[in-house]
Amino acid sequence: MRGTVRVFVGIVAGALIALLLATEARAIEVGQKAPDFTLPDPGGKQVALADLLGKGPVVIFTFIQAFTSV
Amino acid sequence: MRDFNANLSQFEAANAQVVGVSADHVATLQAFTEANNIHYPLLSDFGRKMLPAYNALVTDEKSPIYRYAKRAYFILDNQGIVKYMKIQDNALDILTADEILKALKQSGV
Repeated sequence: MRGTVRVFVGIVAGALIALLLATEARAIEVGQKAPDFTLPDPGGKQVALADLLGKGPVVIFTFIQAFTSV
Repeated sequence: MRDFNANLSQFEAANAQVVGVSADHVATLQAFTEANNIHYPLLSDFGRKMLPAYNALVTDEKSPIYRYAKRAYFILDNQGIVKYMKIQDNALDILTADEILKALKQSGV
């Protein structure tokens, strides 16, 4: 019984560590695949990164707020 | 944003798509696009899902722009691989369209 509990605890701990590592791996980095996204454009049309990539390289910039100098 | 708009033909010549992303509501971006005659898509991440994945959301609660986008630039090749990225700590560190065009050419995409 005690051995079974140990195995179970080991499996859960391993899964948690794997999850943490996977989360780290998802951070955006040069040389890695960019996270996918689907966001609405001003016309309300959903734009997916995959659709943009189908047309060629993509330049993405992020900005703080429209109608401001930043 | 206007700088990218003015230089859009150069990005198109390089076969690159330009998109801007902010945490603004889609209606705000629609009004801004019309008011400034922007010819590339400004996408709304009002739900704050894309910005954190790109490490481009301000998470410092003391910041005056908490939960808004950082100023950041990314160049992806047509496979979606990140070839260049610049995430600015200071929102006023704006890169020009020329600087991004130069980075685009140097990235070899």
